[in-house]
Amino acid sequence: MSIEQIQEEDIIIRNYRTSDYEATLEILKDLNELFDIGFNEKQWRESSGLRQFKPNLKRITLIAELKSTGQVVSMGMIEGVKNTLGQYIGYLDNWATKKEFIGKGVGKLLADRAIQILESWGTDSIRINLAYTTDEKLINIFSKLGFQPIITVLEKRF
Amino acid sequence: MSDIFDKTVKKKPKEDLCVVYVMFFDEKRGQVPLLMYPDDRLRSDKRYMRPINFHPVWFLETEDLDHIDLEYKGYTFFGKKFLAKSKRQKRRAGLEEETPETIVIIVSIPVEIDIFGDELIKRLTEELRENFDDQLSEVIESEIASEAVIKTPKIHECISKGTKIKVFMRELIDKTIKDYFSKAIENRAESTSLKTQKAIAYFSLKGFEFSPLSSLKGDGSFANLELFETSKKPIELIGPKSILSITHLNFIENSQELEITIQNNTDKDLTNMSVTITHVKEFFEKVIMTQKVEFWFSLEELLFVSPIVPHINEYLVSIKQEDDHGNSNKILTHKIDLKLINKISS
Repeated sequence: MSIEQIQEEDIIIRNYRTSDYEATLEILKDLNELFDIGFNEKQWRESSGLRQFKPNLKRITLIAELKSTGQVVSMGMIEGVKNTLGQYIGYLDNWATKKEFIGKGVGKLLADRAIQILESWGTDSIRINLAYTTDEKLINIFSKLGFQPIITVLEKRF
Repeated sequence: MSDIFDKTVKKKPKEDLCVVYVMFFDEKRGQVPLLMYPDDRLRSDKRYMRPINFHPVWFLETEDLDHIDLEYKGYTFFGKKFLAKSKRQKRRAGLEEETPETIVIIVSIPVEIDIFGDELIKRLTEELRENFDDQLSEVIESEIASEAVIKTPKIHECISKGTKIKVFMRELIDKTIKDYFSKAIENRAESTSLKTQKAIAYFSLKGFEFSPLSSLKGDGSFANLELFETSKKPIELIGPKSILSITHLNFIENSQELEITIQNNTDKDLTNMSVTITHVKEFFEKVIMTQKVEFWFSLEELLFVSPIVPHINEYLVSIKQEDDHGNSNKILTHKIDLKLINKISS
């Protein structure tokens, strides 16, 4: 793969299928190594990325696949959650791109599609969970798309 | 095995398989049995009739829910309600001659083979509606007439006409049950599902049609299959694969959730689908989760995660599709027993 920007026509953005399990497992493991997102390999099952329906929650895992090779290069989960205040919030979670494709614009293409989907679901707002140690460059990219930092999430692990 | 269907009524071997109750709504007496299979004398046997009187099918709307099942003393009772044409003069003010008759069909089968119940009650209802829709009111009329103290020749004629129709109805029920079990067993013989294997084992132990010794197979056999047959190739399923199928079931112990993965097996996208998870508590069906699925892509698997109710192990998944006119068609019904599925921690 050449080190060029990836264009919309170079990729297919689609829903996760169980056959994407291995590829997504690799991507999430890499992301966990970089940012310690709390990923547990045993908990990522074949069905974990399927379109999910649960009371007060809708979830889709989007996959970016290279048209030329069929390789999964990026993934991200979108969720629509009704919170206790009655707000319907859209989340972009576990956004990750294969190491060799980072910085090629594929994550942004995926995020644009995710925002379209969350808008179509009628969410009141969209939130993105980023690692605390995220590069400021990434925050700037998202602020150009209209995202402003509003919450810091603290976590205690058991 | 419960003894509610025990030895007092003389049975042929396969009559253990199921009991069919065809009931109608009498304006004076409430729900009354119209016909019972295999033997009409069962209607006066309290052990057979007790669960019928409490079946939640009486609360079922004829248009909304498709059918309801109830488990009682080792038997599962599947109940379905529908309306039939009528020309009978009703015995309650406000009801017209044309007011349709409310018919209820209940099928009881041992829990070991209750996987066959959904399809069986559907077939029986279809067959009876197709062949007797116009005649059911005559049978009801004859049933009511038989209660008359003084029987005029006209009443005798009415009773005799109804009795004749009942004979044909019973024959149809008998034929439908035999045909159904014969095909259902053949089609599922190769299934790896634990529930299906349990059902087949039940047939085998009861000595129906799966005896390994051909010589034991007689008139009572439903299917030309042997349990340990090695000479034949696996039997291929006849007919198209079902539209939807459950591909995985997990019970997540930590979060006390039920995960159900369902696949669209067709090459078409499905729209306006609705998935409902219910459980039956006492005699009432309670909805735990309903999810609308606006579109379901061809061959796509969807994951439904439902909370469970403490100490309840049995749940029912029903999937319906709404057409352009707002009518719901049932696509899939599946009973889930938490005791029989994978348990995972997260």
